[in-house]
Amino acid sequence: MIRTEKLNKFFGSTQALKGVSFEIQKGEIVGFLGRNGAGKTTLMRILTSYLPASSGAVTIDGKDVLKDSLAVRRKIGYLPETPPLYPNMTVRDYVRFAAQLKDVPAKGISAQVEKILDQCYLRKVAHRTISVLSKGYQQRVGIAQAIINDPQILILDEPTNGLDPVQIQRVRELIKNLEKDRTVIISTHILSEIEQIAQRVLIIKDGEIVADDALSNLLCDEQGWQQSLEEVFLRLSQ
Amino acid sequence: MNKIWAIARKELAAYFQSPVAYILLIVTVSVFNIFFYVIIDNNQEATLRDVFKVMEFLFVFIVPLLTMKTFAEEKAAGTMEFLMTTPIRNSAIVLGKYLGSIIFFTLIILLTSIYYVIVEFFAAPDRAATLTGYLGIWLEGAMFIAIGLFISSLTRSQIVAAICSYIILFLLYFSLNFIQYTQGAAEAIVRYAATLSHAENFAVGLLTTADLAYYLSTILFCLVLTRISIENRLWR
Repeated sequence: MIRTEKLNKFFGSTQALKGVSFEIQKGEIVGFLGRNGAGKTTLMRILTSYLPASSGAVTIDGKDVLKDSLAVRRKIGYLPETPPLYPNMTVRDYVRFAAQLKDVPAKGISAQVEKILDQCYLRKVAHRTISVLSKGYQQRVGIAQAIINDPQILILDEPTNGLDPVQIQRVRELIKNLEKDRTVIISTHILSEIEQIAQRVLIIKDGEIVADDALSNLLCDEQGWQQSLEEVFLRLSQ
Repeated sequence: MNKIWAIARKELAAYFQSPVAYILLIVTVSVFNIFFYVIIDNNQEATLRDVFKVMEFLFVFIVPLLTMKTFAEEKAAGTMEFLMTTPIRNSAIVLGKYLGSIIFFTLIILLTSIYYVIVEFFAAPDRAATLTGYLGIWLEGAMFIAIGLFISSLTRSQIVAAICSYIILFLLYFSLNFIQYTQGAAEAIVRYAATLSHAENFAVGLLTTADLAYYLSTILFCLVLTRISIENRLWR
């Protein structure tokens, strides 16, 4: 479903991605794990066609993310690291606006907006202005815009960043409910998040993939002993 | 078209969700009212010709306040990433934002139509000249907005967008004052680029293809530049 081949990305003389290649199948839940500045956000921006790669190829369902950008963007729901919100809009107006931009059929927009508000536990605050909401609610509004058109692929960049433990738990539950029949890519440096959500893990270090395996495989060392994800991560990312 | 309209409505709502829109509307219309009274009182003529001149001048100050946030605010807030990753063409984003600003600007113009009603009530103004005068100031505002939109797309700072827009609009508006220092091709270019060379014709009821082409081509040129500007991340 998602295929990248020898992706390189330069920002001036800095190389943010170095020959990144992987394939993600439909329905997989993949965690991008890496330290801050490892290249996770850059990789996600390339997958969503927001940024072009300096070289290499990215296809989603066989479509090039830049040449067939509109078709690719229809398949993707994306939550950037900072939720892209208009603070003066109400929650309902914002989700409706996202629905209009994301090709939700005009006749079904109201029903879809209400469905997503329920799904993201936003009904209580639907009439409120986004700027007055807590960070946890704002994050859920960000997720609501990402899933408003029922995308096949969900890309979430650090969805629990800056939330308190209760908010983190709520957002994780929400993400778990969204996984059904979707391909989900989640970027984080919170290891417990990956352990709870992902089936497969890509560890990125300085723009390179240093591990790409099922979570269960990563948690076994060469002798078959169990190891923690923290041990694996520290060993591979330092 | 639906997406263009959705963005235009969002832009328009954003104007009214902040006090800026109300302050702009109140201050602009109040200032216009004062000038309308003074001009009519001094000239004792049933024409809005001189009122249009004042309006054109004031648009140089008003339009950058309208356009400074269009793209700069989206870039600073991170919502540009949202817009650019939804299935919408970049040209639709530009047109939607342009339409939103144009509608707000048109509202300001419509509020001044009371002047025509007053003049019509007390005398018999040249209706054709009034209509072309209104068309002229509307086109000038539409061109200023296109320029402001482009400048806003170049920066994340609303202040920088406003200052740069002021500089360009001032140059366009006052360039005829510097015509004496130019000659040959430079003089022809400055004369053509100066907004006053074109706006005055509309105010006296003169509708020429050259003037229409000046406004429409500049608007189109700026909108194309804006589109290129928001795509620039693709060739960085």
